[in-house]
Amino acid sequence: MRKRMLIAALGMLTAFTAACSGGTGSPGAGSGGAGASNAPAGSGNDAGGAEQVELRIMWWGDQKRADITNEALKVFQEKHPNIKVVGEFAPSTGYFDKLNTQLASGTAPDIFFLGGNVVDYANKEVLLDLEPYVGKELDLSDMDQSMIEYGTIGGKLLHISAGANARGVVVNKTLFEKAGMPVPEDGWNWEDYARISKEISEKLGDGVYGTYNMSVDGMDIGLKQQGKQLYDMANGTLGFDEADALKWFQYWDATAKAGGVVPSDLQVSNPPGDTSKSLIVTGKVAMSLIPSNQLAALQGLTQDELIMVQLPRGEKGTGVVFESSQGLSGYAKTKHPKEVATLLSFFINDSDVAKILGSDRGVPVTAANRALLEGESSPVEKIVYDYTSRVSEATKTEPFAVSYNPPGFSEYSKLAESTMYEIGFGRKSVEAAVKDFYEGTVKIFKNNQ
Amino acid sequence: MSSSRKPLARGHNLTAYTFLLPWLIGFFCLTLGPMLGSLYLSLTRYNLLTPPQWIGIANYIEILKEDDTFSNSLWLTVKYVFLSVPLRLAFALLVAMALNKGIRALGIYRTVYYIPSLLGGSVAIAIVWRQIFDGGGLVNRFLDWFGIQGPSWISHPDYIVYTIISLSVWQFGSAMVIFLAGLKQVPGDLYEAAQVDGANKVRQFFAITLPMLTPVIFFNLVMSIINSFQAFTPAFVIGDGRGGPLDATMFYTLYLYLKGFSFFDMGYASALAWIMLIIIGAFTAVIFATSKHWVFYGDGKEGR
Repeated sequence: MRKRMLIAALGMLTAFTAACSGGTGSPGAGSGGAGASNAPAGSGNDAGGAEQVELRIMWWGDQKRADITNEALKVFQEKHPNIKVVGEFAPSTGYFDKLNTQLASGTAPDIFFLGGNVVDYANKEVLLDLEPYVGKELDLSDMDQSMIEYGTIGGKLLHISAGANARGVVVNKTLFEKAGMPVPEDGWNWEDYARISKEISEKLGDGVYGTYNMSVDGMDIGLKQQGKQLYDMANGTLGFDEADALKWFQYWDATAKAGGVVPSDLQVSNPPGDTSKSLIVTGKVAMSLIPSNQLAALQGLTQDELIMVQLPRGEKGTGVVFESSQGLSGYAKTKHPKEVATLLSFFINDSDVAKILGSDRGVPVTAANRALLEGESSPVEKIVYDYTSRVSEATKTEPFAVSYNPPGFSEYSKLAESTMYEIGFGRKSVEAAVKDFYEGTVKIFKNNQ
Repeated sequence: MSSSRKPLARGHNLTAYTFLLPWLIGFFCLTLGPMLGSLYLSLTRYNLLTPPQWIGIANYIEILKEDDTFSNSLWLTVKYVFLSVPLRLAFALLVAMALNKGIRALGIYRTVYYIPSLLGGSVAIAIVWRQIFDGGGLVNRFLDWFGIQGPSWISHPDYIVYTIISLSVWQFGSAMVIFLAGLKQVPGDLYEAAQVDGANKVRQFFAITLPMLTPVIFFNLVMSIINSFQAFTPAFVIGDGRGGPLDATMFYTLYLYLKGFSFFDMGYASALAWIMLIIIGAFTAVIFATSKHWVFYGDGKEGR
């Protein structure tokens, strides 16, 4: 019995090892191949047209986004029969780990999406400089100037925004009506916010809360409202002091203790960023901070009526600007930079693609496509357009600079989140938590310069 | 005499190496290179995308002196190992003894209880576990019958590690199969003799079963400890994949992974990996060193 098991086990092991050693050849060969092809971009050997070219593109998001993105890529391939596009996607949580691994091994896709962390990748010089293709393969004539500037980092055009949005407070109007309270309107301040949060959770009771804890997601806005910022890119320094952060976290701590904020353990199991689990959708939370392009996804999951209101005002205003929600970058080591530029250009300019993608990644960045979508928008999209135009209006009188995330952003955001929960679960006093937070931030910032 | 023994010994060695060959090929072709590579990287500052810079043992110094997350994650992992391994082995032994009573359809039961071991490491099971231990999950609904309002086990930093431990205990199958084989090797006449002498069941268990099983326990213990130190998937999936809430799922391997692949600090992550290797090696060495005092080989060979 024992012997037979042993033999069987050995047999399996042999088969397994054989399979593995069969594979050993290929990684070696693969890396050799990559090494040989690492000649810098732009050698321009595939003179347009005839040659069949394959591009890989990667994005994050849910199934719906994958479906429409694939459809858009299909349209592209029909119009450019010589370019085959292979799409890959990952959920947002694992996306950047996957991308980093591929970048490290030299097997990154030719095109990939980046968010506010684009600076991290620009600093590491893995992004394709698109400047040489502007006006040829890459048509930016109709694109918003501010978005082009946003994608120009360190004097190079490295990033093409795929959609713009403005963050705001999503309000579950139905809950407010149920509580018999007036629906919040633009122009409120943070005191109002705390009071309303408390009041609605008291009136509705039974596990309904006024707001998610936005102390991390809204921190950069909170700082801007005080005339500070998270990261001062022009000077390459942090843009805030410990006292600024303390003020912000203290506000949230006080609001939470008053009872209007989702308790930490509930926020852990139902994070606001995950639309499928969001308590906004289940009618357990009345207000939350979202990027405007998320409204449609949330509204699609609930019968309650959702609207968007501008952020409560601080000293200097709302601190909200129209910003790039995410965008596309080329891989510096791509073998087909021209085709990459062609695809990027197509992605932002083509009207069929704009119709397919809608405002899933934000409002289109070209005026023509914006007009096109506005013309045939659904009721939810109308709310979004109405909101974003209100923000645009407001920034005319109260301008705020577009901000970038500080270098080392993923480590920073983990730290910020820990700080929020240390306070929320009562592990540390606000003062101690913020002190550790600030020290940690400075250290991360220094390590990633 | 000696000349005739030598070729025999050599023949034995040859057989042994032949059977070891698959492992040796794997080790030399696949494992050794990356291991040496990571040893080199652990002495550098390497952000994945630009070439590594030599910094000597600075990474190790920073880990041991300044890094709170390191000490927290190590403590958490040790806690996990020391809770989950004894519980799992005890559970496995218990079930193995129940199955060893000569019941019918043993094969079916053995398979049924072994299945969790095959599935347990998978992402799908970890997701099922999330559902079961969620605020409104199965466990809390069960507690509800008794009027107990359970917390959300997977989202409170005080409880989530126990959710993960319970998942690990549930994967008792492979240890159980080995225990079962061990139990079958215990000679029946020992029990008969004990019965004649008037020893009750408990006494029989402690005087016969347990001592006769020590080699198997030894084996299971070593394997379980090594495996548990490397636990990753449950913490990654049941937690938020970032060690949260509040680093309550920041197992050592997860921290290593985050440092390397999310925070662009592969040199630091490599140093963490080598410290882990040393820790696991030390634990294993301690078990081996003490084994001659408590592992009993029934066939008369001295513990070795």
